[in-house]
Amino acid sequence: MTIDELNKTIASIEADVAARLPDVATVDALRGMETGVIGKSGSLGALIASIKEYPPEQRGAVGQAVNKAKVRVQALVKQRLDELESADESAEAGRSSTFDTSLPGSLFPMGSVHPVTAVQWEIERAFERLGFTVEAGPEMETEYNNFEALNIPADHPARDMQDTFWLKSGMVMRTHTSPVQHRSMLKFGAPLRVIAPGRCFRYETVDASHETTFHQVEGLLIDRDISIPNLIAMAKMLLAEVMQREVELRVRPGFFPFVEPGIEIDMNCQICGGGGCATCKRSGWIEILPAGMVHPNVLRAGGIDTDIYSGFAFGVGLTRLAMMKYQIRDIRVLNAGDLRALVSPRRLSGPILERGTSSTACGGGD
Amino acid sequence: MLISINWIRSFVDLPKDIDPRDLAERFTRTTAEVDALEPIHIDARGLIVARVLGVDELAESRNLRCATLDVGNGRTVETVTAAPVIRVDANVVYAPQGASVKTLGTINEAKVAGKTSVGMILPGEAIGIAEATQDAIFPGNNLEAGSPLAPELFEDWVMEVDNKSITNRPDLWGHYGVAREIAAIYGLPLKPYPVVSMDELSNPASPEIEIAIADADACPRYSALLVAGVATQPAPLWMQLRLGHVGQRPISGLVDLTNYIMADLGQPMHAFDADKVDRIEVARAKDAERFTTLDGMERHLTTADLMIQSGGRSVALAGVMGGLESEVAESTVTLLLESANFNPATIRKTAGRLGLRTDASARFEKSLDPAHTVLAIQRFIELARPMYSNLVLKSRLSDEFAKTSQPVTVSVNPKHVARTIGHELPTSEIVNILKPLGFTVTEKDAELSIAVPSYRATGDVSIEVDVIEELARFVGYNTIEPVMPRVSVRRFEPNAVHELEQRTLAYFTRVHALHEIHGYCWYDATWCRQLGVDPEQGVELANPASAGLQWMRRSMMPSMFAALVRNRFYFPEVKMIELGSVFEYARPQDQQFRNVGLLSAQRGKRAEHNLYNELKGSVAGWAWEHFGQSVTFSRAATDPHAIWQHPTQTAAIRLGDVDVGIVSVVDLALRRRMDEHLGAWSIAFAELRLDQLATMGRRIESLESIPEFPRVDLDFSILVSKTRAYAEVVDALTAIEHPLLQRISFVSDFEGDAIGADRRSLTFRTVVGANDRTLVDGDAGAFRTAMEQHLTTAGFEIRR
Ligand SMILES: [Zn+2]
Repeated sequence: MTIDELNKTIASIEADVAARLPDVATVDALRGMETGVIGKSGSLGALIASIKEYPPEQRGAVGQAVNKAKVRVQALVKQRLDELESADESAEAGRSSTFDTSLPGSLFPMGSVHPVTAVQWEIERAFERLGFTVEAGPEMETEYNNFEALNIPADHPARDMQDTFWLKSGMVMRTHTSPVQHRSMLKFGAPLRVIAPGRCFRYETVDASHETTFHQVEGLLIDRDISIPNLIAMAKMLLAEVMQREVELRVRPGFFPFVEPGIEIDMNCQICGGGGCATCKRSGWIEILPAGMVHPNVLRAGGIDTDIYSGFAFGVGLTRLAMMKYQIRDIRVLNAGDLRALVSPRRLSGPILERGTSSTACGGGD
Repeated sequence: MLISINWIRSFVDLPKDIDPRDLAERFTRTTAEVDALEPIHIDARGLIVARVLGVDELAESRNLRCATLDVGNGRTVETVTAAPVIRVDANVVYAPQGASVKTLGTINEAKVAGKTSVGMILPGEAIGIAEATQDAIFPGNNLEAGSPLAPELFEDWVMEVDNKSITNRPDLWGHYGVAREIAAIYGLPLKPYPVVSMDELSNPASPEIEIAIADADACPRYSALLVAGVATQPAPLWMQLRLGHVGQRPISGLVDLTNYIMADLGQPMHAFDADKVDRIEVARAKDAERFTTLDGMERHLTTADLMIQSGGRSVALAGVMGGLESEVAESTVTLLLESANFNPATIRKTAGRLGLRTDASARFEKSLDPAHTVLAIQRFIELARPMYSNLVLKSRLSDEFAKTSQPVTVSVNPKHVARTIGHELPTSEIVNILKPLGFTVTEKDAELSIAVPSYRATGDVSIEVDVIEELARFVGYNTIEPVMPRVSVRRFEPNAVHELEQRTLAYFTRVHALHEIHGYCWYDATWCRQLGVDPEQGVELANPASAGLQWMRRSMMPSMFAALVRNRFYFPEVKMIELGSVFEYARPQDQQFRNVGLLSAQRGKRAEHNLYNELKGSVAGWAWEHFGQSVTFSRAATDPHAIWQHPTQTAAIRLGDVDVGIVSVVDLALRRRMDEHLGAWSIAFAELRLDQLATMGRRIESLESIPEFPRVDLDFSILVSKTRAYAEVVDALTAIEHPLLQRISFVSDFEGDAIGADRRSLTFRTVVGANDRTLVDGDAGAFRTAMEQHLTTAGFEIRR
């Protein structure tokens, strides 16, 4: 083929491409056509393959002509591709006008932690932010750790307050998380900041507000110059973190042998808001946080130098707090394993229809 | 403990218009929580005293009788009454026609049982003595018939304080001690305790009662007095009303009087018939001694029990209850009045062992003030004189103070006060707080020397912090401005078990979408037996919540199965996790461990292997996440306790050489034993032991760089007999050493007709490549040949 013939052929290929392009309707067809022209066995592709058949002195010009043609064809294809894609977009846009954006999504299965664990984790996080460590102790405790180490000697009337589950071995099911105070003092010494969530046991008749098995969180802070104002500040922070709002406190004397002074911190009832209801026995207050300054005998039993250090301790009724937070009225559901009472229905059955919350997207009413 | 505000008013001049609710709130914030505050509102109008002239039975009724009453001014009336006891010649509380009380309204003339009944003899409950219910109240004969009864006499407010919250405050077990607190709260003076003087009781001409205390630790003090002329005259109405308001039923003049002093001062007293008890010995009971208490019960005693004896004969169980034989009777002429102090632990043990908790023992258990023994006798005479005109003292007040207690003085450093309450307290303020409570403050160098009053010195206030508590509560906890503490920074070694527990809960609830439940840590024996488990092994409670709940759990499964039964109707699938303690019998000490139970169940048969595989998969993921290691599964040995583990489909889970737990399916027989409906379910479960893993640490999984040279995947399907385990094949497969082998993973386990009924095909995928060059033609083929040869040598057949 002479160079002239070549140029003519190129021109006719380009013209043919330009003529056929408007009829190409899909991206796939466009790609097919492109391959048919510039692919190895395509019309232009064949010309590219033929370059080496020309004498060496012509190859430069031939190559240039063919390659330029290839670039122009590619540009035409690209132009058509853009047209097709924008047509696709507007087609999609057309479909979108009937697309219901207000439908709920497909849910992934979600598990859940027990309400008591949920509150426990919040408390752990709140105290970890303040540099407390989280400890645990055994549920089956020695009599010494549960009582004597906490300034409750054998004949102390306070043992009446703790109706205890005894094991045949002479061990006890711990009546409070306070033994962890003693264990932590021995483990870490002072200064000390520790909380200890866990299960406790009291020999009680079970009813809507009493359980044999419940959870507490023990808190203990030992350092220099620790005061009652420090204790109250910590209690206020703790309750506000859990309830996710400021709470009102009532502080009153309380007697626990392992603290002196001993106090009871009440929170305004979150069920009735303080007006009085069955849960708060009409008082508007919920007894939630027994606390106090650690008794010197307890510090000494834990090997702490009382000339240098003092501290406070508290025991939050974790179960009570979870009941307040999640408005659980009967304590018995917490240990019954009935998922209907323990898990938010959203997690069990997917979206729950609610009045007036999904109206804006489709412009409908409620 | 019930507290009558009227009673308090006899010791403190509280303003007339004081709001009892304010009083209760201030008492709560300063002293002890008031659990309840109730008005006693009788709204009595026109009540009078009437004298019973006669009582006639009524033919028409067995429960009602007709009383003829002198209502004053020479008038007599007939009234029908339901009171079970009406004493002739006794005064009664009477509502004439037109009089009224709140609960009964206006009293009129009425036709009752065929009689015209005029007015009404008021029963106890109508005038505020609830315990007396239908009983008539006999207010004593000091008043003339027809005397009006002032309405105020019946009105009161009653505060209830939980006994547990004043267990450390024996002084608050009597109204006088409570009045002292209330006086201090309101800044009002407390009146001196009204008693006769000691001079009156110490006439040297009167005989002394012999008192011999054998065990001074058990009975530090014993005071006694002989009194004659205490007739069967009832206590005055005001006294009966006050006792009624604090929940006591009036019984007789003498009993009411000692009950009144117990509620007044907190000191229990006992009266013996002096004909039977004329001298006192305090000693331990004889071993296996039998003794009949006032309530007619024969008690079996030990040498730990303290007795009051007279002439070697036991007459009372000290501090708990008197004896039947020496009880005061109508015939009693002279009383021996006991007012003693006992060791709290001794009384507590006896009362506890005999299951005989009396009002007296409850108080003695709290460490009473030894000074009160004498004070109570002085108070007795003070109150008895107006009641009994013939009262005669037959002895001196005899007082054996066998073990005198040292006065308690506490040294208080004002700096420590400031440190604890957060601000300085001037000495003047310290004195202002402590003085009304009975403390004496002396300044001594930089410190304060605080003398503790005897009624607070029996263990309640003994060291500096005890005094600081007194100051803090009167400064007012609610006035204290909260301040965050200043602390020292230090690192704490984390508690590995707790961390693993919480991360484990987080993992399975998120990744496997399990729901966490809590159960009890003791087995329910009935349920265990239904499952076919013998619960009677392991650790046992001495005092279970109820019979059948005494065995501590050894596995999480039985209670999780029970939870499944509870949920089966409400959900098509139930996926649960429980974290908790399990217990194993061991000597010298029982053991406890922390376990996690995983239960996955769904309605519909034959899905258990699916659930089982999911559990295995999520346990494997948990192990990677927390330990950076792979778990392995192998056929578990049968656990004779855990019969719910499938005999052939329970896998032992191991992590390195640590035994992690098991995963299993639940067979049809067990599902049916749980509940008939579960026959149509599929259930799998796993139980993991956390303790040993907590210290395992986490292997760091380093990340790989993107391969520089391409790699190819080559799959190998290996035909094995169904009797051979995946683990065997893996062992063989991983034994190969080849420079191009990068890693091997498991693809599938296939069974089908094409390969024969007794065989299955396990497919594995190998990744083949070199790190320093591109694979060349023949590399992949050479690897395939090498692997096939390796497997064939190991005795496996390759499926092509
Ligand atoms: Zn409320």
